[in-house]
Amino acid sequence: MTRELKFESPSFIQRLKGMLGVDFYRLFHTPMFYIFLAIAAIIPAMILGMTSIENAEGIVEPLYTNTWQIIAADTPLYVVNSISEYANMNMVFIFGGIMVSIFIGHDYKSGYVKQLFTTHAKKQDYMISKSLVGAFSMACMCITYLLGGVVAGLLVGASMEVNVGSLIFAVLGKIVMSLGWASLYTLLNIIFRRFFGISIASSFFFGTGILIIGAAAVIGNNSALNIFLYGSSVYACLSSNIVTLLVCIVCSVAWAIIYNVIGTHILSKCDVY
Amino acid sequence: MNAIEIKGLTKNFGPKQALSGLNMTVPEGAIYGFIGENGSGKSTTEKIICGLIHPSGGEVKLFGRDYTDADVRAKVGVLIEAPGCFPNYSVWNNLMLQAANLSIPNAKEEVVKVLKMVRMEGAASNKYKNCSLGMKQRIGIAMALLGKPTLLVLDEPINGLDADGMRIMREILVDVTKNYGCTVVVSSHILGELEKIATHYGIVRGGKMLKEMTAEELNASCRTYVALQTKDMNRTKSLLSCKYSRVEEDEAGYIRVYDAKDPEEIVTHLYENGILVSEIKIDKIGLEEYYIDLMKEGR
Repeated sequence: MTRELKFESPSFIQRLKGMLGVDFYRLFHTPMFYIFLAIAAIIPAMILGMTSIENAEGIVEPLYTNTWQIIAADTPLYVVNSISEYANMNMVFIFGGIMVSIFIGHDYKSGYVKQLFTTHAKKQDYMISKSLVGAFSMACMCITYLLGGVVAGLLVGASMEVNVGSLIFAVLGKIVMSLGWASLYTLLNIIFRRFFGISIASSFFFGTGILIIGAAAVIGNNSALNIFLYGSSVYACLSSNIVTLLVCIVCSVAWAIIYNVIGTHILSKCDVY
Repeated sequence: MNAIEIKGLTKNFGPKQALSGLNMTVPEGAIYGFIGENGSGKSTTEKIICGLIHPSGGEVKLFGRDYTDADVRAKVGVLIEAPGCFPNYSVWNNLMLQAANLSIPNAKEEVVKVLKMVRMEGAASNKYKNCSLGMKQRIGIAMALLGKPTLLVLDEPINGLDADGMRIMREILVDVTKNYGCTVVVSSHILGELEKIATHYGIVRGGKMLKEMTAEELNASCRTYVALQTKDMNRTKSLLSCKYSRVEEDEAGYIRVYDAKDPEEIVTHLYENGILVSEIKIDKIGLEEYYIDLMKEGR
């Protein structure tokens, strides 16, 4: 039997819709996602309830006296002077990095990408889909982190005093930053796709913001650091306003585009084994 | 129109040259048996056809278009190494996810159809990880068949299958070619099985195409031989070796004489030397022996 050959590929929207459908299905059906959500909720509760510091008089007192300190720092401090200025919602981006690494690592390990890239000539679909799913998972982690922090704050009786508007802008800013972080992790995992361990280690390394913290130690608390993902993530603090949120949106989207373009280029040029 | 047309294909992996000017032509609707030793360049060629690896040089056309063309790529089904399924999901879910990836509008009907084609209707709810090797291979074919591909590229799909699994796989491949007009490129080391279904062959060696031919051409080039058995096989062999240039004993215990014009001549010759022939037949060498001969000639 012969048939008339008709070659037509789905449109960009159709392709992206299909791929996002698959990735979201996988996300919601993997226990790993729920484990990371639980970790994101437990970590702030543990830090808030269990950390303490010895003051100048030698009296041990809680490290965090205000619940919202576990969500964001009071001011944008890039130079870390104490753990209480560092340990906040930005930690979610480290967990998110590990999750994205496992997610993409599985694509390569199972041979799924071979099936996918045979029929999908345009590699940007993959980058966009993974970045969006990664961003969604990190945004969910931010929410469970917030809930975990609030519940723990209520339980330990920490102060709840806060400028609500600034808090909302800070939380929204950090949630918005998930897109940039997810794109960075997707790119890192594309680069190190053949070395799963290095993928996870590199995600962890960049997620800690160690490069920006190091740069801040040299140049000081400079607002120029806001052009970087970690810088903007720190900028979303308890003194945030609409400008903070706009900075976060611009930074996150700009880096997401840059990382997606680079990732697409790498995928288009490199062989899949 | 040719489904695949490759000219002067080269691929280097660092200093190692995997393909060195390979030419290949696969007519539309063919079942193309792609044969070669390990490391001869079969998988590399197939991966290039699938757009998974990039050639260092040469030209690859699928249905007259460049192999990177997104429209033509969307119509290629593939089974290379593993089917790319998620082990904890059911067969049905794996196929539905692949259907979503391909943006197939009527996904459910399409999945039911391909499951039927690969005789897996009853196993749709099984988890992929609990399926046997034969089932996994068939699921891989089903995944490749989603989206009504015009070209199927299968790398060693019958490896590790039992006799029944091989028969089912054979039937599936013939079915998709005849009833769906699909062109199939299938590589395998199990040449006896390939011979039963292939309409065209490509024999590759050292990254080059050694020979391409149709099943009819293979049939015509396969030499006939006389196979016989006697009570004194050793003496028979030495007697015949003096008269004929190629005399061999095969695995089934027959002495094969390849360049005998007439079986009667052999029987008479042996009779004159006091040997009675207990069984005699005329046969043809198969693809496997043809391939082995070809490889020997090349060395």
